[in-house]
Amino acid sequence: MTSKMIDGLLPSGHDVKFSEIEAAFARLAHDRRRRRAPTRATIATVIVIGPPERLIPAAEAIEHLGDVGVRAILISEGTQAEAVARVTDTAVAVSGLAPAYLNNAVAALRLSSLPAAVWWRGGSTTAFSDLANLADRLIMDVDQPDDLWTAAVRLFDRTAFTDLRWAALTRWRAALAHLFDLPNVRRRAATLKAVTIDAADGASARLFAGWLKSSMPWPAGATMTIRGTRTEPASSLESVTLECDGPPISLKMREGRACFEATAGASESERIVPTGETSLSSLIGEELGVRTRDLAFERALVAAREIRL
Amino acid sequence: MTVPQSSGTNPLLDGLRIEPTPAPTALVIFGASGDLTRRKLLPALYHLSRAQRLPARFTVVGVARSEMTDDQFRDQLHDSLREFGGVARPDDVSQALARRLYYVQGEMDDAGLYQKLVAKLKECGAPDGVLFYLAVPPTVYGTIADQLAAAHLTGPQSADGWRRIIVEKPFGTDLDSAKALNQRLHKYLDETQIFRIDHYLGKETVQNLLVFRFANGMFEPVWNRRYIDHVQITAAETVGVEQRAAYYEGAGALRDMVQNHLMQVLALVAMEPPITFSAENVRDRKLDVILSMQPFVTNGDADHVVRAQYSAGWVNGGPVPGYREEAGVSHDSTTETYVALRAYLDSWRWAGVPFYVRTGKRLPKRTTEIAIQFRKPPLHIFSHVSPTPISPNLLIVNVQPDEGISVRFEAKLPGTRMQLAPVMMNFRYGSAFGRPVPEAYETLLLDAMLGDATLYARHDFVEASWALITPIHQAWASPRAKPPATYEAGEWGPSEADELIAADGRRWRTL
Repeated sequence: MTSKMIDGLLPSGHDVKFSEIEAAFARLAHDRRRRRAPTRATIATVIVIGPPERLIPAAEAIEHLGDVGVRAILISEGTQAEAVARVTDTAVAVSGLAPAYLNNAVAALRLSSLPAAVWWRGGSTTAFSDLANLADRLIMDVDQPDDLWTAAVRLFDRTAFTDLRWAALTRWRAALAHLFDLPNVRRRAATLKAVTIDAADGASARLFAGWLKSSMPWPAGATMTIRGTRTEPASSLESVTLECDGPPISLKMREGRACFEATAGASESERIVPTGETSLSSLIGEELGVRTRDLAFERALVAAREIRL
Repeated sequence: MTVPQSSGTNPLLDGLRIEPTPAPTALVIFGASGDLTRRKLLPALYHLSRAQRLPARFTVVGVARSEMTDDQFRDQLHDSLREFGGVARPDDVSQALARRLYYVQGEMDDAGLYQKLVAKLKECGAPDGVLFYLAVPPTVYGTIADQLAAAHLTGPQSADGWRRIIVEKPFGTDLDSAKALNQRLHKYLDETQIFRIDHYLGKETVQNLLVFRFANGMFEPVWNRRYIDHVQITAAETVGVEQRAAYYEGAGALRDMVQNHLMQVLALVAMEPPITFSAENVRDRKLDVILSMQPFVTNGDADHVVRAQYSAGWVNGGPVPGYREEAGVSHDSTTETYVALRAYLDSWRWAGVPFYVRTGKRLPKRTTEIAIQFRKPPLHIFSHVSPTPISPNLLIVNVQPDEGISVRFEAKLPGTRMQLAPVMMNFRYGSAFGRPVPEAYETLLLDAMLGDATLYARHDFVEASWALITPIHQAWASPRAKPPATYEAGEWGPSEADELIAADGRRWRTL
């Protein structure tokens, strides 16, 4: 039985046998040069694993990566040993491959001498663990991440991990860290009594909470509360409030959602921070710039797993 | 849970993927109503603010002679962003930045101005880390330094405070004036507080030169006299003097381009590897280059330097007047609009390797590049099958407008015959990463706020550079000096420049 290529995935591509993928890449690259299309410096292989409906937006996001060139390998799991492949000049989609062969496919298709990042959008946890040996970086991106987080914590010594939520939280973390640059804010934070985080995505809020708990001195008795909201985009936080002596230290989304406000009470500390691009393309682009283990993330993840909603 | 050790005193910065943010800063811009502020500084501040690179406590105080209120200075920010920053209408970020802008009006030599500045800094709750930016004519640099010191503005008021000063080019007009200015600044500020800006050093490709040379193992072993035949550095402009005739008449191409920008670029090409990427190490190695340079003047003659002026010609699709016909230029001016020179370095690495430098206005195209030409192979073993002479390998660093690096090497043309041809391998910042490169002023302003002087000129480099350049001016001023040669606008300089390089059996690259 042969599997079917996913409708809508790499619509401009050509269907080829797995063994013909590299030849197809070469032919398409030649055509591209003849068209004098701009060539990006290729910096990595990005392997996206996930169910069909989550591969299509990932393929579009990679296509819109503005500043880097990558080879994208999009794989949906199935039950087949021999999979169907579709190739464009920078991407290949492999459909219906049994999880046991997934790492073989990746090993054959990844670019040599350049880093390989796995963007995990869903699939069997066993395959996820196997890929830790092939990937230079594993980027988790699933709706319910608890099982994956648990698996990741066990694999920290094998490769570099992150969760795409972590990239979405960068500006929020940076804004709070900038407030902590002020000595009086750091002094007041030592009297922390309670932290309240409002967010639509509980996992993002837990990750942020985990980062706070694992980064700053945490006074005994200080509480952590996460409250659900129904705001969009779900990946973003709505507000973070640190109650301590004096006025609260807070981050709060502004109307229009283009910026959020960081304040520690006095006007001198007030900052308006653009939320920045939170598209899939922008977030994955940011992650591709990171090559090393992110110890702050690892600590935050360990702490986040202990936080319950 | 155990709290991990964090870097510095801010625990939340640990592992944060952001570049360092300066300590609380008050930026005081002298010349706040001027062109540089509107075109470069205010847009740079906006982009830094958008990128979250400015500190939480940040204040800008503009100082200039023009009458202006705080609100009018804030309007100037929005106008400047619309005209030069690509920000069509005020947004949250520009409005937040505008709220941090203040203005003080006065004459630069009036002590009252500095009292008003002190009061304004206090009134707006400015932090005690103050960066002064002198975006004013060089004639008032010393005056401003004197007045800042008299108003006790050159020293911080608290343990966390600091004071720095950015000085625009030109830094002096000759060796004596540069020394005098250094001495005057050093009366009130030590060298770590003085940032002599050269915007060429903020350019991405110029910085990349350090990465290219010292982060790759394959180039440095051939980066010497054994493998390199010569180096050509070209900075060509299509524009004439525009509205800068008054300045340019007293400066000329040698002062305007060679003494600062091109000497810095040459130093980056020729420097030894620094032991660390720190301001002092990098600048020590650059200074070595300038100190090893042979004098350009022997027996009163600047034989290895050609100067020229453009005559009427045709540039960018239209006729243009000659230099002496430009508004504001004397009809018998001897100011050079073009310079070509040959430099030799007395060092083990570079002995005998000529560095050819040329710069000029009204040349056929705007381009700045460094071309490193390697020696040919000792034997042309393909001469009997491919009689065409082989081209030497060439490494070209494009500084502007199309920033990038290219390598030229010989390749076999496809076919049954053994036929050779040169091919180019190109890396271009614009297309390779598709990401806009930051404006030089963004990089340099941020570095000054962070106290990182790596990309700024040090006093000894400036003086050493003037020590090489000033004798050329003296030789040109001598009665027996040849008058400037001429070249037609839209051509690649005078024939004398061609002869300079042809005397060594070489030729200028055709760009």
